[in-house]
Amino acid sequence: MGHHTPARPASAPEGQTTGTRRGFLKGIGAAAAGAVAAPYVITSTALGNASTPPASDRIVMGGIGIGNMGSGDQNAFLGRSDVQYVAVCDVRKKWRDDGKGRVDGKYGNGDCAAYVDFRELLARDDLDAVHIATPDHWHAIMTIAACRSGKDVYLQKPETLTLREGPLMIAAARRYGRVVSGGSQRVLEDYRDIVHPCWAGEIGAIKSVDISVGGPSQPCYLPAQDTPPDIDWDLWLGPAPWEPYNSGRCDGNFGTGGNSWRSYIDYSGGSLTDWGAHHFGGTIFATDLRELQPVKATYHPASADGKQAAYASVSYPNGVDIYHNRPNELRPATPSVAHGGSIQITGDGRAREAKPVPVYKGTGGIYGDFIECVKTRERPFRDIELAVNTMTGPHMIGIAYRLQRSLNWDVAAQQFTGDAEANRLLDRARREPWIL
Amino acid sequence: MAYDSASLDKPLETLKAFDWGGDVAAFEPIDAAVIAVHADPAARADLEKRLSALLTAGTSRAAKEYVCRKLSVIGTAASVPTLAALLPDTENSHMARFALERINAAEAGAALRQALGTVQGDLKIGMISSLAGRGDTACIPMLAALLAGDSRTAVAAADALGRIHTPEAVQALTAAGGTSDQAVAAAIVDARLACAESLLKQGKRSEATAIYKSLADAAAAGTTPAAKSTRLAAARGILACLDTTSPS
Repeated sequence: MGHHTPARPASAPEGQTTGTRRGFLKGIGAAAAGAVAAPYVITSTALGNASTPPASDRIVMGGIGIGNMGSGDQNAFLGRSDVQYVAVCDVRKKWRDDGKGRVDGKYGNGDCAAYVDFRELLARDDLDAVHIATPDHWHAIMTIAACRSGKDVYLQKPETLTLREGPLMIAAARRYGRVVSGGSQRVLEDYRDIVHPCWAGEIGAIKSVDISVGGPSQPCYLPAQDTPPDIDWDLWLGPAPWEPYNSGRCDGNFGTGGNSWRSYIDYSGGSLTDWGAHHFGGTIFATDLRELQPVKATYHPASADGKQAAYASVSYPNGVDIYHNRPNELRPATPSVAHGGSIQITGDGRAREAKPVPVYKGTGGIYGDFIECVKTRERPFRDIELAVNTMTGPHMIGIAYRLQRSLNWDVAAQQFTGDAEANRLLDRARREPWIL
Repeated sequence: MAYDSASLDKPLETLKAFDWGGDVAAFEPIDAAVIAVHADPAARADLEKRLSALLTAGTSRAAKEYVCRKLSVIGTAASVPTLAALLPDTENSHMARFALERINAAEAGAALRQALGTVQGDLKIGMISSLAGRGDTACIPMLAALLAGDSRTAVAAADALGRIHTPEAVQALTAAGGTSDQAVAAAIVDARLACAESLLKQGKRSEATAIYKSLADAAAAGTTPAAKSTRLAAARGILACLDTTSPS
């Protein structure tokens, strides 16, 4: 994949870090052992205490894509005593400066390195793990590069932008034995109202689910604006088609109705995969479908009179159907359980044996789960394979909407059967020099 | 909705001068036509011909991009000549690949290989990327030769061979031998690991084991970059080859 020597001259980190932390600590240890005369000062922070592990036992982390959700992820990791946060990377100067400022403020120094180009951050040999919260079109390339450089990865949802990316990301994680966790912090925490009745067997065998969430992304033809000096526009676009700068094209706000990268097809699957990652993730976890992928996407066209909008569904091999935006009048009148108005689950009503609900490892939610797995080398709650399975359904629905027809999915071959046009949409050409 | 070629006259004419920020609603009939021609080969050929004809010097960059997106869905061998003509063009090369990479016709692969032999720098890496995306086996000798080229191109070539992972790709990677370029060496290791995984999935345990053992030996001898991760990856692979219960 795109793991090249940087095309441009490597920019020096904006922080003052020059050597590696471990090398530095190793040097201190050697000096102490040799009882040299120079007065080395080993701080209590470095040695640790009852609540803070010594620096040598902390997970050394950096973050790529540090605005919006990236800042939330950063704060979650930065707040942990078992994490030493040392580097940030963002193509926007403001996010970069803000991210570095949060780290330096936390530690009371100016040591956090700041990079424009993620390849320079990944080239550091002192990092154990990175968190990635860039727009979706970067997820696969960065995750695979991180695995290849020996880093564990916490990757914001939606983990994939195309169906073909998923198997390559899983392969990289397994090849190098990396812990790669998807990043939907809501799956376990926000959907308890549907998770527990399902796993408790109270509603019986799951028959169907109705999810209400926005639709797929759209093309972006916003007008050109002058590119501000504080963004590396070419690197923001990366593997996506070249387009002129427009602040609405790259804005990281959480809307999907335009003027945000989440709205547009080159960078996101739209609300269907963005908020959809949470709703589908919660549903698929609640209904215990994480190990499976759908075998069919069904496109239900709009009614001839236009009164009923088109909707779609995916069918799983165990008989569960998940509907996206099915009209209310077509849904079961009395779903077994519901998560507000966004998820309604219907079972057969015949109580089944309860199963223990999987929980996070460690402490601190999904972030703690990831860090615990970095330490133990276990697979995390939202292991990349489960995340890829989860996102397969929304991606299939997006393609069904785009082509306005139903599709059959061959899970083993990772292809649509009997539809060459649909298979064209499994992936997309990446702009040079990026390669997956 | 039935395909109506005449209804596209005005949208296609308007499209020629389209620029970002323009009124895309004018192109909705074209968007609808791309869907409508799915089961109508004659209509599809007509639409493809009309779109392809816009990939000329008199059409704006934004319009060419729009056309390439449409051809990426409905394009056939008939569009390859006009798309191929854009491959050496820095501004339009990627969008031409955007369509060509998806066109399941031998002509599309041939056009990308032709361009691979002529363009330079990032554009060459772009051709490598698209040929890898297509799983093009005919380009393997060209990729093999590029392994000895400049670092960035050689890394891309190794990545592509790993994606293609046929026996010929394995052979090309094995024959590449050592290199002092750490980035290239790491990419070759990764590609060989990918090939071994593919062989194992096919049940070719002995061939996969041979690759893993070769990499483990090289890592032990310190002749691969990131020797520790290579050794661990190779060890995992060898264990997987020994596990007859694992998927194959």
